[in-house]
Amino acid sequence: MMDQAGVGAAAEEQACRVLRAEGYLIVARNWRTRFGEIDIVARDGEVLVFVEVKARSSSGYGGAEGAVGPAKQRRIIAAAKAFLAANRCELASRFDVVAMEGNDVRILRDAFQVDDVWPSS
Amino acid sequence: MFGRLLSGVVVGVEAKLIEVQCDVGGGLPSFQIVGLPDKEVSESRERIRSAIRNCGLTFPPGRITANLAPADLRKQGVGFDLPIALSILIASGQVGVPASRLLIVGELALNGDVRSAHGILPLALEASHNKLDGMMVPADNAAEGALVPALSIHPIRSLNEAIAVLQGVGPRFVMDVSAAAAGEMTQKPVEHDLSEVRGQVAAKRALEIAAAGGHNLLLIGPPGAGKSMLARCIPELLPPLSFDEALDVTRIYSVAGLLSAGEVLVRRRPFRAPHHTISYAGMVGGGHGIPGPGEITLAHRGVLFLDEMPEFDRRVLETLRQPLEDQFVTLARAGVSVRYPASFTLVGAMNPCPCGHLGDESHSCACAVQDIRRYRRHMSGPLLDRIDLFVDVPRLTPDELMDTPLGESTDIVRERVARARERQWERADATGAASNARLVPQEVRLQCHLDAEGSQLLRRAITRFGLSGRGHGRVLRVARTIADLVGSGDIGAAHLAEALRYRSASLLRDS
Repeated sequence: MMDQAGVGAAAEEQACRVLRAEGYLIVARNWRTRFGEIDIVARDGEVLVFVEVKARSSSGYGGAEGAVGPAKQRRIIAAAKAFLAANRCELASRFDVVAMEGNDVRILRDAFQVDDVWPSS
Repeated sequence: MFGRLLSGVVVGVEAKLIEVQCDVGGGLPSFQIVGLPDKEVSESRERIRSAIRNCGLTFPPGRITANLAPADLRKQGVGFDLPIALSILIASGQVGVPASRLLIVGELALNGDVRSAHGILPLALEASHNKLDGMMVPADNAAEGALVPALSIHPIRSLNEAIAVLQGVGPRFVMDVSAAAAGEMTQKPVEHDLSEVRGQVAAKRALEIAAAGGHNLLLIGPPGAGKSMLARCIPELLPPLSFDEALDVTRIYSVAGLLSAGEVLVRRRPFRAPHHTISYAGMVGGGHGIPGPGEITLAHRGVLFLDEMPEFDRRVLETLRQPLEDQFVTLARAGVSVRYPASFTLVGAMNPCPCGHLGDESHSCACAVQDIRRYRRHMSGPLLDRIDLFVDVPRLTPDELMDTPLGESTDIVRERVARARERQWERADATGAASNARLVPQEVRLQCHLDAEGSQLLRRAITRFGLSGRGHGRVLRVARTIADLVGSGDIGAAHLAEALRYRSASLLRDS
């Protein structure tokens, strides 16, 4: 039996294949800062996409997409800010979630936005 | 990438143009609305996002900023959904930059439908005033916008229809305004007919004068004498609104969201009868954010009826003094100051004392002198000074109750009232006031000619009743209306004598 890290790595590998098939260009993987981590950074045409991969063996407990809660979103947003700053990138960007439940793989485009977590008003 | 459109915000009963600007730029995906939006405007983000996606369009990635200029004016209401959504689509290149300048308002549903909005008429007037090419209006409100002459109205039901209009291929709405103005005045069957009120000839006559000239009236009498019944007859006595007056009233009801479904133009004079527990803000206007109109504004160009007048909070009654004189009210709050029109006729009803039987021959009054004094203190001198007609409504004797033949019906009296008001309008073409009660002192001098006998009578009355300058003017205005009711150009001694009679009610004598 694989350990949890092994499960995650295999899931990310599969996600990359799916994204490439959808026409995404993979830019970076497992990009880390001390604020948080991004599983996959990719380009979808002129848009930079930060992808979170979430794998579940079944659809119980609210499914895979339900597992990307506000705290997780905040960590991803913080890391994405750092990525844009480090790469002096001025592309428009988007957050996608790749949800995997067994063999069922879905790409949730524009899954969340900065102001969902940090409302401006 | 940048997009801009025009919208508007209603402040009081006036509208102001707002430029909606939108920038779609690089960076993390976020959507902000700046430019002093209120809560409901900020919340439009969620509606806009969903509406755009559900119409088969793309909500653009990256950082989106919408600005509502000028930034120092508070933005209230949900009408900005549509212009913001469209400016996002322009900024992201999904819709071409429009060639015409349209004022755009509308609330979006999550599926992209456009919902009806309040305050369309003032916005349409402002669009016309600024010589815009037209206005995009929720389909349900199209007729309201079309009241403004020479303004092109585009009724829309959904975001997709709005896009079509921006690209010059959407629907246009043309309505014959004169038809809407002329028709629609369907005569409701009279609910409360004057002929149903037994006796009380003097009070009925006073109602007729009040309705014809817009004079303030106070009915005083014991319980059960018919004061409230008389007052309920007023709405059907009132003369119809002229077209300009109707626009004026419709503007207020449009802002207040009180136009009934299908009602385009308010054709009846408003009749408002608030209960005596009404609050200060309910009477003059108020509420959170930009203060809304109160009863005095909703009664604009109509009648405000206060039953059991001394039961009203004294502070509420005193607030009527300034609008009774100036015909508008200015509500100043932190950051906003709103001016509402409030040109209404005040009709009050009260008992002569707390038990109601003072001066009643068949009941003895059980009130102590100080109780009566306290009761009447609610009606301050300055307030009473603004009332033109005081009328006693006594208890009917058994003979009057049983044997009095039915009096004149409402239809007959309304006809006289309407003719009297027409005479006032004819004179007003030269001077301006819409009713005799609103004549300014200079107009009183010009229009209220007395014959020799009348002048002499007035001179004696000033001494006898101790008439003040204001009281003197009021007697003349009432006499003018009495003369108009019989179609007389000059005011005769008989007209003046009748006007003076309404200043000699029991209330004024024994207090």
